This record gives sequence, C-alpha cells and structure tokens, in this order.
Amino acid sequence: MKRGLLFVSVALFWLLPVGLALAAEMPETVCLQCHGGQAGPLGAPVKAWQGSVHQRNGIFCHDCHGGDPADFANAMSPARGFVGAPEHAAVPEFCGRCHVGVLADYRESLHGVKLAQGGAQCVTCHGSHAVKETSLELINEQSCTRCHDYGRAAQIKTALAETDARFAGFGEELERLKKLGVSVAAAKGALFDLRNRYHRVFHSFNVEKVRAETGRIASELEKLRNEVAGHDARFSQRKLWGGIVIGLLLVLGVVLLQVRHTYEEEERDR
Amino acid sequence: MESTSSPPPQRRTFLLVLAGGLAGLLAAASAWPLLRFLAPAAGGGAGERVAVPRSSVQPGVAHFFQFRGKPAVLVQSRSGEYQALSAVCTHLGCVVQWQAEKGEFLCPCHGGRFAPTGNVISGPPPRPLETLPVSVDGNQLRIG
Amino acid sequence: MRLVNLLIDFVDRRLGVREIFARELQGYLLPRNVNAWYTLGAVLITLFSLQILTGILLLIYYVPHADQAFASVQRITNEIPYGWLIRMLHAVGANVIVIALLLHMLSVLFMAGYKGRRELTWLSGFILFNLSMGLCLTGYLLPWSQLSFWATTVATEAPGAVPIVGDLIVEFLRGGATVGNQTLGRFFALHVVGMPLALLGLIGLHLFCVKRRGISPPPFGADYRRSELPDTFVYEKHPGGIPFFPNYVVKDAAVICFFLALLLGIIFFAPGLFFPPSAFDPADPFVTPPGIKPEWYFLWAYQTLKIFPSELIGLGVQGAFMTFLALLPFIDRGPERRPARRPIFVTVFFLTLLIFLGISVWGHYS
Repeated sequence: MKRGLLFVSVALFWLLPVGLALAAEMPETVCLQCHGGQAGPLGAPVKAWQGSVHQRNGIFCHDCHGGDPADFANAMSPARGFVGAPEHAAVPEFCGRCHVGVLADYRESLHGVKLAQGGAQCVTCHGSHAVKETSLELINEQSCTRCHDYGRAAQIKTALAETDARFAGFGEELERLKKLGVSVAAAKGALFDLRNRYHRVFHSFNVEKVRAETGRIASELEKLRNEVAGHDARFSQRKLWGGIVIGLLLVLGVVLLQVRHTYEEEERDR
Repeated sequence: MESTSSPPPQRRTFLLVLAGGLAGLLAAASAWPLLRFLAPAAGGGAGERVAVPRSSVQPGVAHFFQFRGKPAVLVQSRSGEYQALSAVCTHLGCVVQWQAEKGEFLCPCHGGRFAPTGNVISGPPPRPLETLPVSVDGNQLRIG
Repeated sequence: MRLVNLLIDFVDRRLGVREIFARELQGYLLPRNVNAWYTLGAVLITLFSLQILTGILLLIYYVPHADQAFASVQRITNEIPYGWLIRMLHAVGANVIVIALLLHMLSVLFMAGYKGRRELTWLSGFILFNLSMGLCLTGYLLPWSQLSFWATTVATEAPGAVPIVGDLIVEFLRGGATVGNQTLGRFFALHVVGMPLALLGLIGLHLFCVKRRGISPPPFGADYRRSELPDTFVYEKHPGGIPFFPNYVVKDAAVICFFLALLLGIIFFAPGLFFPPSAFDPADPFVTPPGIKPEWYFLWAYQTLKIFPSELIGLGVQGAFMTFLALLPFIDRGPERRPARRPIFVTVFFLTLLIFLGISVWGHYS
C-alpha cells in the first residue's frame, strides 16, 4: 500500500510538470472547465486566450477578472474579488492594475483624454483575450483609420521602426551568446526594461516625447551593443589562440611520427 | 620519407629538438591559463565598493545609483537605518520606481510592489529585491 | 641535462630505477605490427588524467548545493580567468573519453584481444567502461541546469520498471522521491571521490593484467601464429619484437597529440556541440523543457526503452546485452582470433554496431 502510494506520488510528481508542460501550462481552473465547454460568446474567450502572451506567462482568467479559480460556487463571487468584464471606459483601469507604467502614459495621451467620448483604449488595439506580444504591426492603417486619419500614427511608427528592429536583433544576439555560455541574464533584464520603457512611452502618442525617449533608449542600446561586441571579440581571440595551439599539437604529433619513422629505418638498415 | 641524405640518428636528434621546442611552447600555453585561473582575484574581492554621501539619502527619499553596472537604490528608514537594494525587479528585470507618498517601490512593468526592506508586497515578483551590504563611514555610506 | 642525470642517479642508487626502466620499458618487447588502435590505452590514461586535473581545478570554485551550483558554474565560465577553458576541457573531455573508450572496446573486440586467457583484462575493462558511464551520468547533474536536472530525472526513472524493488532503487539513486539537492549531494560524492578512486584502482588492475600476461599480437598478417597455452600461467613473449621505449612511447605520444588537437578543436570551433540550449538555463523542477533526451552515448538505451512495449522488457534487453558483453570471453572460447576466419563473429560485430548506430540516430530524432 505504502509502496503503491509512493509509486503513485513519485509518478505524479514527475509526470505532473511533464503533463503541465505538455498541456502548455494549463491546470484546469473552474473558469476554464466551465467556459471551455461552452459555444458562442461565452466560450470564445477561452480559445482566444490560448496561445496568448498572458497564457504563456501563467496569467489565468481570475488573475484579471478575480473570483475563485478552484471553487465553482464562488468562481464569480464579488466577495472573492470577481469584477466581471469592464465597460469601455473602465478598461484602462482594469489592465492598469498590472500594467502600471503604461496606464500612466496612456492617461496623459489624447486617447486617454478622449476615453469617455469613446476614445481608443487597451482592448481597441491589443484585443482582450487573444493578446499577443506587442509588435509594431499593431500600428497599421486599417486599425487607426477606424476613428481618424493615419498621418500622425504613421509618423510615430516610422520613429519607432528602426529601434524596434534593433530590439529584436539584440534579443537574438543575446540568445546566441547564451548558447556559447555567456551569462546574459543581466543584459536580458536590461534589454527587457528598455523595451518596456520604449513600448510604454508610445502610449502617450506624443511624437516629441517618443522621439526624445527613443534617443535616450538608443544610447542605452549602444552600450548593450558594445557589450555584445566585446563578447564576440573575446570569442574571436580565443579562436585565434586555440587555432595556434591546435596547430602546434598537430605538428608535434607529426614530428613524433617522424621520430618513430627514424627508428623503423634504422631497423631496416640493420 | 626517403632516407637519402641524413642518417636516421642525425635526423632524429633534429626532430627531437623540434619536438622538445614544440612541447615547451605547449607547456607554456598550458601554464599561463592555469596560473591565471589559480591566481587570487585582483582587489581582494568580488568587485568595487561605492561611496554615497549621507546627505543624498534623506528619510522618505530613495537615492538611485549604479552599483557594479546595475541599478541600485538607497533608502533610509525613519529610525535612521540605511538599506541598500538592487533596483532590478525580480520578476522580469525592469527597474523599480520609488513611490514617495506610499513609501514603497513600484515596478512599472507589471505592477509589482516592494517594501523599503525589499520584501514583496504584491504582484508577480517571485523574490524580494536583492539586498546589498551597506555600512556607515562618517558622512559617507559604503555599499559593497 | 647534467642536473637531470644527477637526480636520476640519486633515485637510482636508492631504488634501482634504471634497472626497472631497462627491464620494463626498454626490455618490454612488442610485435612490430602493433597498430594504431593499441595507442588508445595511453590516450585514455592521458584524457582521464586531464579530467582529474580539470576536475580539481573546478572544485576550487564549484559549489555543490542546488541553490548555488548553477551560479557557481556561471561564475567559473564568465568571471574566473580561463574558467571557461577549464570547464570546457572537462565537459568536452568527458565526451572525447567516451569516443576513445568505444573505439578501444571495439578494436579489442575485433582483434579478439579478450582471448588467450585475458578474461580478467576484459572484465576489468568492462567495469571501467561502466564506471566511466557512471562518471558521465553523475557529472552531468552537477551544473544544475535544466538539462542536468531533467536528463537525470529521465535517467534515474528507468530502474523504476524493475518489479518489487524498482522504486526503492530509484529512491536510493536520487536520495529521495525526486531529483533535488539530496541527489546533488550523493552524485557529487560519487563523481568527485567514490568513482574516481574505483576508476584508479581498476585502471591499475587493468594495466597490470595487460603487462603481466603480455600484449596480444594483432591477428593479421602472414606471420601470425596462434600462441601456446600450457596448463599453467605463461607470459606471451615477443622475442623478435621491438622495445616499448622508444618505439611505442613515441607512437603513443603522437596519437595523444592528435586526440588533444581534436579535443581543443571541438572546444574552440564547435563549442555548442555537446551543449544544447537547455544547458544554459538554471534547473526548474516545475517546467520541463521540450525535447529532453540524454547525452548521445545514452541514446541507444533511451531509444531501446521506448521501443519495447514494457519498460521492464526494455531494461531486460539492455541488461542481457551488457551481461553477454561482459561474459564474452567465457562464451566465445574458440582459439581462433583472425577476423578472416571468424565470419559469424565479424558479421554479428558489424550488425550490432550498425544497430547501435541506427538506434542512437533514431533516439536523436525521435
């Protein structure tokens, strides 16, 4: 009995994280259990949420909407913090409970000022459940011209485009260095911070402010670039010295074989 | 290799001298990294210390500075004790901000909140802010 | 040179080392046609010595605790001068040792070096092979990366299929129900002291067996004659042979140089060869990285377990094969050593080799 229990607990403890990983980190909260099985608008958010950046980082329904994720009876109880789906004008507050910095910038922006009159808020551009990682493509003619013309948005997008590409490039460089054993955790954190500051400032929709911040961020990125270049230079140098030592070893090996050869010759001559 | 000109013993001597030279070079190439690996770190420690004048850290005010290339912060509690912390949020690496009116740190990225001691009050951060050793030296604060 | 001679004189007067040298090295005669495969023993001794040296150096900075192991290895790789070199020599060296070990075993098999009353040499070698695999397995955990943690989890899970005592074995291996700091402790002790001591002892025994019985000549060539085997112990002489020193010392040294060049070549020009990305993430017991599989030399075992419907059968097949290999000198008792006259053996040899290669490649892609 004890052995059986032991076996089960060992298997579960090992299988659980495997199963979790396999099921893309989806323990079944009661929210998912109920809404996942429903058709139409009540079930749509679950599908939309799967594959989203929130789901990939372990943010579940109750993390935004409140309520008890383990208890069916209290899943939607205000006493357990359930807040339901926010109205249009309440969306920024709703998202801003976590995304504090963005909310601050958004409030200053024209969109934020015009919120009560139906101005764009988080969900307008980012979606509500199928939220993907931010990308410059969120700024596009189709999306922005729903309410106004595209002129200024296009300007901002251009100002952002070059720096945005550099962020992606840096991310890849750091991954490449990581695979060579370099400790990139601090650099990755700095890059993440920079990227977030950058995406955040965009929400003020203030071209001058965006340009100024972009300039500041560019100089920080320059520092990061030097760091990456330093690593690469070190690796090149290592390869050079390594190549020399390998060459020496090969030559030594050949020389020794030649020494052996002289013994063989001596024997033959004898 | 034909044994035309030099007899084997002579060639062998030359080859052995050559091999000896190569081996010597290789030995030197091995000794250098070994010595550097074993040598004690310069400066007798894991990094430099930073000095901050006491006057920059008033109670209720957080003083941000750079410590070994990373953002750090000094706060002074009401009782006059100084606390040095890493200002890097333990969630995903953003730099935390000081909220003077609330007397706590707030991370702008996902709303993580830290007490002036570095402990997590709420939000996604998994660990408290890393504490840095700080000591008072006259009217200077030494961190590290 | 003057000074060196004086030193040797000093020791010689007290211990007679010149006589030992003359007898055991210059007087040690081997056949002329001893081929390059015979150098692998010396290569292995060199590589093992390198492991011990780099291992001791790593011990200076490595911390064997789950909370600090990964960070200490990162410090070695990134902050300690040439720490990266010591670490890479150790990690890549382990893989090159396995390559050399396999080549050594295969050549001994092919040339039937286990025949002619050399069962003890073979057995000690077989145990050495298993010990080396054990050293590789225990060493793998020490960096405490995602790869370390999960590969060890998978590897220590396998004995669980043994009926009745399986779970006990798994718990014993891990020091607990799951891989954790308790596993790191015992793996560290085994890797740093337990297994190296056993290894050194067995290498000594293995070398003694080789030297005492006499080297087996390559079973090739028109001059090959089967050796005499009277009822009592006999040393296999090679009276017309050439002395070990200097002929084979120089040859050994040359091949050692080539193997070291290979080792450094991998370190400097293919450093990621034995390091998948999960080797650079700290261990997280709650998140399994996708596609975890053991190191290349265990892929055959991994895939074999997956082929058979029951893990127990898979383990049994592996165990049977290893037992067969260990007892080969007792099973294959025919006196014939020449491959040309052992068609069945040679066929089975190459077939088995192909199967192993195939299963390993399959394991890599599955």
